[in-house]
Amino acid sequence: MTDSIPNQSTKSARGTPRGSVTEEAAPRATTGNFRALGLFLLRRKGALFGLVGTVLIALIAVFAPTIAPHNPLELDITQGLLPPIWNEGSAPDHLLGTDALGRDILSRIIWGARYSLTISLLSVAIGSSLGFFLGLISGFFGKWVDAIIMRLGDIQLAFPFLLFAIAVLAVSPERNIWNLSLVMGFAQWIVYARLVRSKVLSEKEKDYTRAARALGASPIRVLVRYVLPNSWQIVPVVAMLQIGGFVVVESTLSFLNLGLTPPIPSWGAILSDGRQYMVVSPYMPLLPGLAILITVLCINLASDGLADFFDPKLAKGGFRRYPLGLLPELHEPQREPLLRVRDVTTVFPMEEQVVTAVNRVSFDLERGQILGIVGESGSGKSTLGLSIIQLLDAPGRVVNGQILFQGKDLTRIGDHEMRQVRGKHVGMIFQNPGSSLNPVLSVGYQLRETLQRHHTLSDEVATRRAQEALEAVGIADLQRVLRAFPFELSGGMQQRVMIALAMSCEPELLIADEPSTALDVTTQVQLLDRLDEMRKKTGTSIIFITHDIALLADFADVFMIMYAGQVCEMGQRKQVIEAPQHPYTKALLDSVARTDVPGNQRLAAIPGDPPDPSEVPPGCPFAPRCPRVMPICREANPGIMTLGAGHTVACHLLTAKSA
Amino acid sequence: MTTLLEVRHLKKYFPVRQGLLGRTVAHVRAVDDVSFSLDEGETLGLVGESGCGKSTLAQTILFLEPPTAGEILFRGKVLTGRETRELRRNIQIVFQDPYTSLPPRMQVADIIADPLRIHKLGDQVSVDRKVRDLLQEVGLKPDWASRLPYEFSGGQRQRIGIARALSIDPSLVMADEAVSALDVSVQAQILNLFKDLQEQHNLTYLFVSHDLGVVKYMSRRIMVMYLGKIVELAPSQELYDHPLHPYTRALLSAVPSLHRKRKERIRLTGEPPKPTAPPAGCRFHPRCFMAQPICSEQEPELKEWVSGRFSACHFAMDNLAATAKM
Amino acid sequence: MGNYFIRRIFQMVFVIWGVVTVTFLIIRIVPGDPARLMEPPGTPEESIQVIRTRLGTDKPIPQQYVEYLANLTRGDLGKPFRGGTSVTEVIAAKLPNTLKLGLVSIIVATTIGSLLGVIAALRQNSLIDKGVLVFVALALATPNFWLAVMLVLIFAIQLHWLPAIDMAGPESYVLPVTALAIVLLPLIVRTVRQSFTEALTEDFVRAARARGLSERRVIFLHVMKVAAIPLVTLVGIQAGFVLGGSLVVESIFNWPGVGNYTLNAIQARDYPMVQGCVLVIASIFVVVNFLVDMTYAFLDPRIKF
Repeated sequence: MTDSIPNQSTKSARGTPRGSVTEEAAPRATTGNFRALGLFLLRRKGALFGLVGTVLIALIAVFAPTIAPHNPLELDITQGLLPPIWNEGSAPDHLLGTDALGRDILSRIIWGARYSLTISLLSVAIGSSLGFFLGLISGFFGKWVDAIIMRLGDIQLAFPFLLFAIAVLAVSPERNIWNLSLVMGFAQWIVYARLVRSKVLSEKEKDYTRAARALGASPIRVLVRYVLPNSWQIVPVVAMLQIGGFVVVESTLSFLNLGLTPPIPSWGAILSDGRQYMVVSPYMPLLPGLAILITVLCINLASDGLADFFDPKLAKGGFRRYPLGLLPELHEPQREPLLRVRDVTTVFPMEEQVVTAVNRVSFDLERGQILGIVGESGSGKSTLGLSIIQLLDAPGRVVNGQILFQGKDLTRIGDHEMRQVRGKHVGMIFQNPGSSLNPVLSVGYQLRETLQRHHTLSDEVATRRAQEALEAVGIADLQRVLRAFPFELSGGMQQRVMIALAMSCEPELLIADEPSTALDVTTQVQLLDRLDEMRKKTGTSIIFITHDIALLADFADVFMIMYAGQVCEMGQRKQVIEAPQHPYTKALLDSVARTDVPGNQRLAAIPGDPPDPSEVPPGCPFAPRCPRVMPICREANPGIMTLGAGHTVACHLLTAKSA
Repeated sequence: MTTLLEVRHLKKYFPVRQGLLGRTVAHVRAVDDVSFSLDEGETLGLVGESGCGKSTLAQTILFLEPPTAGEILFRGKVLTGRETRELRRNIQIVFQDPYTSLPPRMQVADIIADPLRIHKLGDQVSVDRKVRDLLQEVGLKPDWASRLPYEFSGGQRQRIGIARALSIDPSLVMADEAVSALDVSVQAQILNLFKDLQEQHNLTYLFVSHDLGVVKYMSRRIMVMYLGKIVELAPSQELYDHPLHPYTRALLSAVPSLHRKRKERIRLTGEPPKPTAPPAGCRFHPRCFMAQPICSEQEPELKEWVSGRFSACHFAMDNLAATAKM
Repeated sequence: MGNYFIRRIFQMVFVIWGVVTVTFLIIRIVPGDPARLMEPPGTPEESIQVIRTRLGTDKPIPQQYVEYLANLTRGDLGKPFRGGTSVTEVIAAKLPNTLKLGLVSIIVATTIGSLLGVIAALRQNSLIDKGVLVFVALALATPNFWLAVMLVLIFAIQLHWLPAIDMAGPESYVLPVTALAIVLLPLIVRTVRQSFTEALTEDFVRAARARGLSERRVIFLHVMKVAAIPLVTLVGIQAGFVLGGSLVVESIFNWPGVGNYTLNAIQARDYPMVQGCVLVIASIFVVVNFLVDMTYAFLDPRIKF
């Protein structure tokens, strides 16, 4: 339920289902798909070029008899070894010259396309079908079926592809299109089998498979109706990507005289002939090779592009801070608050639109204060935290406002200076402690590394400080933990190590992004204790981001309720928790007060779904779900109103009241 | 009240294999001698933290995993796992993760209709009608039947999952953390839906969750599990007000509440132990704040200390005394 | 680690047995009489019968198999059908040459490929990245035998810069290694680039940056350590390409290695020779993969069996 990258987890508002993309590649409906494909190809010129080229070559192959100027097998020794027309001594009806037996090279190359493409396609079809079937039953039925198939696959894999094909073909009495394709295709079954098996295994683990069994479906039904439809997609993608390679293999085999029996004009065979005469006629080996190169290049470009289209992987790039947008020139003298966030807006410019994840948020944070930011998915709370420490995933950026930390505007200082701030003055802990620690470095190493980054310390002193940091979070078994790798520790321990890491240099501000969400309730209590102790000892301010308002009830000093990237309400406990003014705050508190609602009453629920940050309607973002919505709410976004000491709300109901 | 489901000394162990030949060196005792009964029409809550075995228990009752030992009786008849078809018609389950509990490439109509087809309940026309009715009942538009799961939000997907579970009119529905993956504001919607459906269809629920608040709201009685065993079983309000087991007390006090101060919370020491090597005697004793010597030697039975209230603690009544002040 | 090691050894033994058996079967199962194929068509039946006896194909297959296995345990890969010394001796003599060529190619390809892959990953979508990807696309589409022939044509025949054939001194390595390495490069560059890019998006990278670690350290230590481990398997894959490709490349450059020998055997239809060579090459591949797996397990602390 993270909202740091809004493009993937879009959910619809108002209970209306919309086309949205989830963590899996969205299954695209076929209607309207061609349009999407067209647009995609226009963006990816390489793929377009490849597709056009492949189609052309395929057409050449299909219409070879019509296009080729000569019969490729026609001999005329008197016309042997003629050079191509751009050389002297050529003949006008043999554009690319002739080979030693007087056969027209151009025609042979044209015909060669036929054989190469046919064999490649056949091989891929055979290999992928066989592999798909075996992978499916291997993954689904498991046990001895799986064991046998996988062991056979091990043996298959022990033979390098080319070697296997060569070995079998060398002893084959006859070599025609069918048995060539059979051999080549067969050699690849295990590639597909493994991929499909892997997918089947992971689909088997998913709840929907268990649900199907729970519904009473027989194993075959589960396999065919539930698992198969979700496991085959990888096959055509890989098959496409393999076609090009097969063309190369086929031509290699014909080059070695292990392909189609001569005088069939396969490219490899032409090249092999050409090699004998290459001193005299260098174009003879060059031209067929170029044919292969161009064909394979086009096929590869096309299939890479199509593969990306059908199975898009987000191209998450390296970390880059973008140049800043328009910033108001505000020079505020250094004040008391440790952190002053003013009008911060964070956006993610995506291909189709710009998603605003944080919309003009402002707040102050004093030293030693705990600010609790509460919100559901899509509220922008995590993005806000990442914006402060300037670690947004590309392409996110802060486009407006200021983040004044100890007087410095973090949105304007350079990378280098920001790195000095991080760790030493501002620390951050994340939701999933297991994946936030480098899995191949020991805990002690990571602690020492951070300490030595910000202070000049010898190894011994650093180790000692590392131990102290671990002690401070209540870890008793110091030596074991220092030497341990993260995966050896429990979730609670990992989170404590995370805190120790973040606090090791005693930063003034700690941002905690859903740190307890992955922990058990009883471990959660310990976590809050730790943080509270830290705060008391070192005076660290904490920004605690969570979806659970009850968790913060007596932990935070200030509460900030966020919805769709905006602040709904902010204030102290007495104000926000005990006397909430914003309808969303009220509704949130009501729907959480479960332990106090008797079982025979209905829970106060908010209809509809949390907003999709890419589809926020005009006006107040909560309007679609608000029980007290007014016409103005759908038109204008309410401004922030100050109700009392430190208590602010953004709601038309209050502006109406005061009017 | 008729007894719908009875579980007797149920055990589910998972072998841990190691070594060259895959010898079994230990067992994960996910469910270790659990007994309870469920009356028709009631909601029994099952609560515990991660690794306590609650999900395994639900799935074993359904024979999604065959039990290692013990008996499961449905309406008085012992289930053998062989008459699965009949079993599946009577007991159904709603899963936790809305994003993986629906087959991603199947239309919603087919998802809900498949159980009807599997059990051959009705022809095409009546199946279609039933699907539309179900969609409406769970709060979705019948027109959406031809859409695919990815077009729906988390809460909506759970509704589809519920519709699917109800399609063949089961008597018992198990909700395995059915609201845990949803946003808070949506959880309330789904919980209300569960309650409405229970009334309309006279359903019996086994409601599994790690969230005590949810469980208390939904259930008439609550079972608390720790490391494969039931440590307490009592009516909801009484469990909440006067727990008879130290773990329950700790759990209750750890639940974030808008009204209870954190200072008053009970702190458990140490880490949750590994399920392959449960402690000797009472499984909770290493972390227990009331532990006495006997606790590490003798495992306490789940006894009925007060009418309708069971606890597996040697000092159950002391808990009562401690919390009576509240 | 110990158990994993022993299990892998068993698996390796099993696979080698499988390779042995399949190699044995290939010749005998493919339709057609190997003895007849070895002689020109029209050869009288009595001559063929003599050949069969020499080959041993007149005996029942199970018996042939047992004899074959027995010979193998003595290290006897048979005799070439036409000609003198035992297959084992010849292979033992030529194997080092193939290994030298292969090793040099792998080292060159891995070094250059990793560099390019890391640069491309760090400078995604920049001109350098695009250039690398174009180069990779071209290299992937280039058949290695054609490249070898072209290299010989240009550098040896027309420019006289480098020797075309035989293994004689370091200059003779240049062209064959180039031919092999260019085929290996695309795979390495792509895999390194992807592995690196994925590692960069992992949570722990963000957490490391949150501690203020320098970008250099984050990339060259944290990311590198995690991204590098899967790359060990690349060495195994490359070995497969090199061993298979050696047949072609060695033949073009007349390199005195096992690949060349195998191809000659094939062209001479000398089945005992072919069988022996295929067996050796495949077995080497199996052993290489075993070593790769062990190295991987050693490097990744998460694998502890």
